[in-house]
This record gives sequence, structure tokens and C-alpha cells, in this order.
Amino acid sequence: MTIRLNVKQRAAAVGTLRFVSVFLMETIARWIPATPEMEVKMLLSRQVWRMAQQADRLGRRARELRAPLHYSRKPQANFAEALKQLASISDTADRVDAFHLVALPVLAEQYRAYLAETDKVTDEPTTMICDQALLEIHTMIDERSSWGDEIPPSRASDSDALRKLKRAFAEAKEMVDYSEPATRAAPLAARA
Amino acid sequence: MDPIETKIVRGTKMRKDPAREACFIVADTDDQMISWPDWSEQSKRERIHRHMNNEMTTTEVAAQCLADFPDTDWDLRMELARQVWDESRHCMGLYRRLKQLGGRKGEFPIANFEWAVSSYLDSVVGRITVMNRTFEAGTMDLMAFIPDGWREKGNDYQTAELLDAIAADEIHHVRFANQWVHKLCANDKRNLFKVAQAVSYMDAAQKALAPPEGSTNLMGVSVEEFSQTAPINVEDRRLAEFTDDEISTLLRQHDLESLLEQQEA
Repeated sequence: MTIRLNVKQRAAAVGTLRFVSVFLMETIARWIPATPEMEVKMLLSRQVWRMAQQADRLGRRARELRAPLHYSRKPQANFAEALKQLASISDTADRVDAFHLVALPVLAEQYRAYLAETDKVTDEPTTMICDQALLEIHTMIDERSSWGDEIPPSRASDSDALRKLKRAFAEAKEMVDYSEPATRAAPLAARA
Repeated sequence: MDPIETKIVRGTKMRKDPAREACFIVADTDDQMISWPDWSEQSKRERIHRHMNNEMTTTEVAAQCLADFPDTDWDLRMELARQVWDESRHCMGLYRRLKQLGGRKGEFPIANFEWAVSSYLDSVVGRITVMNRTFEAGTMDLMAFIPDGWREKGNDYQTAELLDAIAADEIHHVRFANQWVHKLCANDKRNLFKVAQAVSYMDAAQKALAPPEGSTNLMGVSVEEFSQTAPINVEDRRLAEFTDDEISTLLRQHDLESLLEQQEA
């Protein structure tokens, strides 16, 4: 038996997945009032709640891995840069595609990479969270084309903004920064 | 707040309207709206259209809280994220009903008053005090009567059921705001000041935008005649965890203390 990710590394990955989930939730939440199309607002609203639930499950799991409750960990710099690029998109169709067809597939890839690395017995609580997240991501991607009659369709070819975003995520490669261990929760007395 | 994000209506600075499709005409005050006191088909569609936009603005207020206050306690953010989803479902339900009745988006003017007031505030405790604990609680009072109006006067049971389902969800939005306003104020007394500031700003904005006596809407209907008020919905306010003292105060303001006595009998 080989256990490839130790507890600290699992906490680091869970914290990073949570960071990304919260970032995506905040980004699409910010887009809701700023986007004119009513059905797009409503589609993004559904996904806000889904991303929040994913972040919540990861945040509770972090505590079981000796990290603080709702521990969030910044991803590697290049990955963080790609996220910032996503947040700066302003066109409605690009926003819908950037979230559903670029960011979510990247996130799914990260969940699958984690599942391939971790031990399915000792880390089963995390693998269950990953499996559930993958199902939800699949549903969200599907909703891009199936939910609502008035969502602008994807363009025949990518816009400049989407092309740049895809390139930024492709170049980022690694999401989790394992260079420093996840911080232990400070003892209650120390926090008082 | 950056001036580019604000607008001034009748001397009151408020947050600029959220983005809307070109089909919508956005009004600032009731006299720029259209409404009819009767239950004609167009009046029904206007009521649904107005409510649909109100649900959209509530979605936007909750979403903007998630974006503007990233350091808020996570459990409150979860409540707000859930509210974003709930309000969007309400909006979609009303849009579906509007289309069933032959209506369309942008058929009537809309106003985003609740967004303009709530989202102007710079604290999450201020926003949930105004949006959830005041505006939504006020809607909760109205919703104790509105579905019956649709059944009895509008002869429209489907819309009545839709509104009743929406009203049930709103109770929790008011409840979590009540819980969190108390919790945040207990944890940090400075939040009491933010709550007082928020309520004072809301009162001033409501007064500034109140229609002058005798004013009419775009259809010549008296705005005062159509303004919606309702007795305090004691049952739902209790479910939403308003204290008995808070309910008594509201009833006193409305000269309705006898209602509380009836409930307790």
C-alpha cells in the first residue's frame, strides 16, 4: 500500500479547492447585478448556491485534516492569475462561457487529479466530496446549454478574452501549492 | 461609494440601478410607474411583472453582499448564497407565470428602490437589516393577504399558489437576518450603530421618494390609493423570530395591539 498524499498535503489541496470555489462564487455573484440579461442572472444565481455548497463541504473537511474550519489556501501564482483574468471578463456570453466551459472543466480536472492521488480508504470523506462536486459540475456545464430559453448561445469561435483565459489556465498547470504546510488551528486560548 | 456607482433621486444619494435589458423602462419613483387597482388582465400582468423585478433586485442585493463583504462569517455567507438561489427561483416562477398570462419582460416600467437603498449601505449588517429585516418583512406582511386577493378577486388560483410558495421561503430570509443582526450586534457593539445608521438612511430615503400628496402614476391612478400596506403578519413574524416585544412595538405603531391579544387568546 502506498499513501501518496499525507494529511498536510490533503489539507493543502482541500483548502485550495475551497479557495477556488469561493473565488468562483464571488465572481459570479459580482456578475449578477452587473449583467443585463435576466435569465443569465438567474442561471448564475443557481451556480452561486452550488459553488457555496462545495466550498462549505470542503471547509468542514479541512478541519478534519488538522487545518482550521473553512481553511482557504491561495493557489499557485499562475493559477491565481488565471482566476483574476476570469473575473475581469465583461461580455455576457463570454462570462457565461468562461464560467461554465472554461473554469468548471478546469476545476473538474483538479478534483480528478486529487482523486487519482489520494488514498480512497483513509481519505474517503474527501473523495466523497470530490465525487459530489464532479456530479454538480457536470450538471452546471450541462445547464449552460439546457437551462433557460434566453441564455445567449456560445459563439461559433472563441472570443479573444476566452482564448486568453484558456491559455492562462493551460499555462498554470498546477493549482495546489504544497510548498508550505497547512496551518494548524490556533488553540482556543491563543485566539481569545 | 464611488460616485460612478451612485445616483441622486429627489436629493437622496442611492446606489445606481443594477444592469437591466434594454426592454425595461426603469423608474425611480411610484409616479413613474404603471398600475391599476382593478383585477383586469393587464393589471394582473403588471402585478406579476412588478413582483418579478422585485425578486430580481433581492437576488442582486444578496449577490452583491457576497461580492462586497468577503470577510463576513461563512455561515452568514451561506445563508446569503442560498437566498440568491431562492430569489432567482421566485423570479423565474413569476416570469413563467407572466408568459402564461400573455405578458412579456419590459411590458411595464420597473423600479429598483430596494436595491438602490440596501446596496448603498456599506456594511453587511446594515444591508440585511434593511433588505431582509425591513423590506422582506414588509412583504411578508403583504403576502398574508395577497394570495387570497388573487383567489377571490383575480380568480387565479395558480398565481395564488405560486405567491404562497414564495411567501414561505421569505420567512427564512427574514429569520436568518433577525438571527444574524442580533448575533453581530452582540459580538460587536459598533454594529448597533451601523444598524441605526442603516434604518435612519432607509427612513430618509423613503420620505424623500414618497409621492407628493395627490400625485398619480402614469395611468392617472392615485399613487396613495394604490400604495400597498397591510396589517402586521404576527404569525409569520413569529416564525421569522421577531421577538414579542418587537411585534408589539410594530402593532402599536399600526394601532393594532388588539390583534396580538386575539392571537394569544
